[in-house]
Amino acid sequence: MDAATLTYDTLRFEYEDFPETKEPVWILGRKYSVLTEKEEILLDVTSRLWFTYRKNFPAIGGTGPTSDTGWGCMLRCGQMIFAQALVCKHLGRDWRWMKGKKQTDNYYNVLNAFIDKKDSYYSIHQIAQMGVGEGKSIGQWYGPNTVAQVLRKLATFDTWSSLAVHIAMDNTVVMEEIRRLCRFNYPCPGASAFPTADSDLLSNGYPDGAECTDRLLLWKPLVLLIPLRLGLTDINEAYIETLKHCFMMPQSLGVIGGKPNSAHYFIGYVGEELIYLDPHTTQPAVEPIDSCHIPDESFHCQHPPCRMSIAELDPSVAVGFFCNTEEDFNNWCQQIKKLSLIRGALPMFELVEHQPSHFSSPDVLNLTPDSSDADRLERFFDSEDEDFEILSL
Amino acid sequence: MQQGKMHPIHTCNSIRPFKQRKSLASRMEEVIGIRGKFPTKIPVIVERYQGERFLPLLDKTKFLVPQELTMTQFISIIRSRMGLSSTQAFYLLVNNKSLASMSLTLAEIYQDYKDEDGFIYMTYASQEMFGYFLATGKGKCKECLLKT
Repeated sequence: MDAATLTYDTLRFEYEDFPETKEPVWILGRKYSVLTEKEEILLDVTSRLWFTYRKNFPAIGGTGPTSDTGWGCMLRCGQMIFAQALVCKHLGRDWRWMKGKKQTDNYYNVLNAFIDKKDSYYSIHQIAQMGVGEGKSIGQWYGPNTVAQVLRKLATFDTWSSLAVHIAMDNTVVMEEIRRLCRFNYPCPGASAFPTADSDLLSNGYPDGAECTDRLLLWKPLVLLIPLRLGLTDINEAYIETLKHCFMMPQSLGVIGGKPNSAHYFIGYVGEELIYLDPHTTQPAVEPIDSCHIPDESFHCQHPPCRMSIAELDPSVAVGFFCNTEEDFNNWCQQIKKLSLIRGALPMFELVEHQPSHFSSPDVLNLTPDSSDADRLERFFDSEDEDFEILSL
Repeated sequence: MQQGKMHPIHTCNSIRPFKQRKSLASRMEEVIGIRGKFPTKIPVIVERYQGERFLPLLDKTKFLVPQELTMTQFISIIRSRMGLSSTQAFYLLVNNKSLASMSLTLAEIYQDYKDEDGFIYMTYASQEMFGYFLATGKGKCKECLLKT
């Protein structure tokens, strides 16, 4: 196995510096110039948590694999996009990592949540084992949606971060659903009692001020992941502009996806190229000395990041955003609405206020073949051909 | 596309796409006939992506869908037909390319995307999985060996 890993690793890595171009470089919502800010770009990239294949970690489930080489790349990408959310929450987007510089406890707490051991919140162990509930046995490959669903479940145990994780399915983001998930009541001093959960759920549309007299409506930081399929075998070019815009939003957490078979964590773009962190390097597992002393150099990518043509992107992706406050979320919605007005940029997903009607209503599901229609059809068709299935309202 | 193994369902989709099974003239004729009979329904062809490894085949390819039905409703029907949970990835791509806006009605989608034969074509797929096979001594894939 090591031989195979070595060959693979040595074959694929040739780090190229950024091209000297006037085109801006976008990294997770920040705009840079290659000509004047190359060091800032590299520092920003290096500051991201970089999770790669590891070997010699404690066996998953006690008797399972001790390395994720070959199968863990999408799980690692899931860790990276989620770690970026935790960095935004606990350290801020402006936080920077410097080699050898002593970091805060919060930093080590974030890193510790991803260390390869069974009791870290988002370890490869937790992700692989939680994936069993999604129909993935340990060691099986994940897609962007798989890892997103698993991370959402794991986040419920992370009371330290207390994130609201929403995964928008069917390429639709429902604002009302997100507000319901993120808003929670905090009784002000003097408030007599908590309102019941029901009354909150039932109220359609919140008062404009979003603040009641006897309680504060607080907002849980939102991690929004949108799994998409932007084509069948190749990405539909009409989505490329929209995809680029995702990296320009200050709320951007980047995109998880890849080239066929190889998952990558995309953090930005320059010109027609995506910039990404690549998990395909096998490093030895790191054992923390204690929770505040983790040898952390191997968790930061200290060479120029990889780049690839956007056209090479596999169409299966998940796009991520972090909205720390309700204002961030409202701002995000505004940007998405504006984006849909840009010519030549096909929206990748739809933003709607309310759950579309009949979304999961049994009425719709009962739309089965209508027998009277079927009779008519029978008279109409010669039976050499497969029949139509007729749906009626 | 990729390798075998993980798919619970038949991969060998030997069925040729609808368009290849019938000539343009006969497809056009079929649409004219059915539209005459059911003027308020949209003739839709729904097929599985050839590389799909997770989603089951539908037993029907041709649907007549009320024109006022939204994409949301239509996808709900197909999802429930397949017994998919709400967290499973399912995408319906119009003309093999675009994710249709879910709030549009079938009539609106038809307007924008109908084929020259008068049908509208949709292909469903989940998401690709990512990983690669490591050769081992016996040439078996790593992933298979790791299966518990």
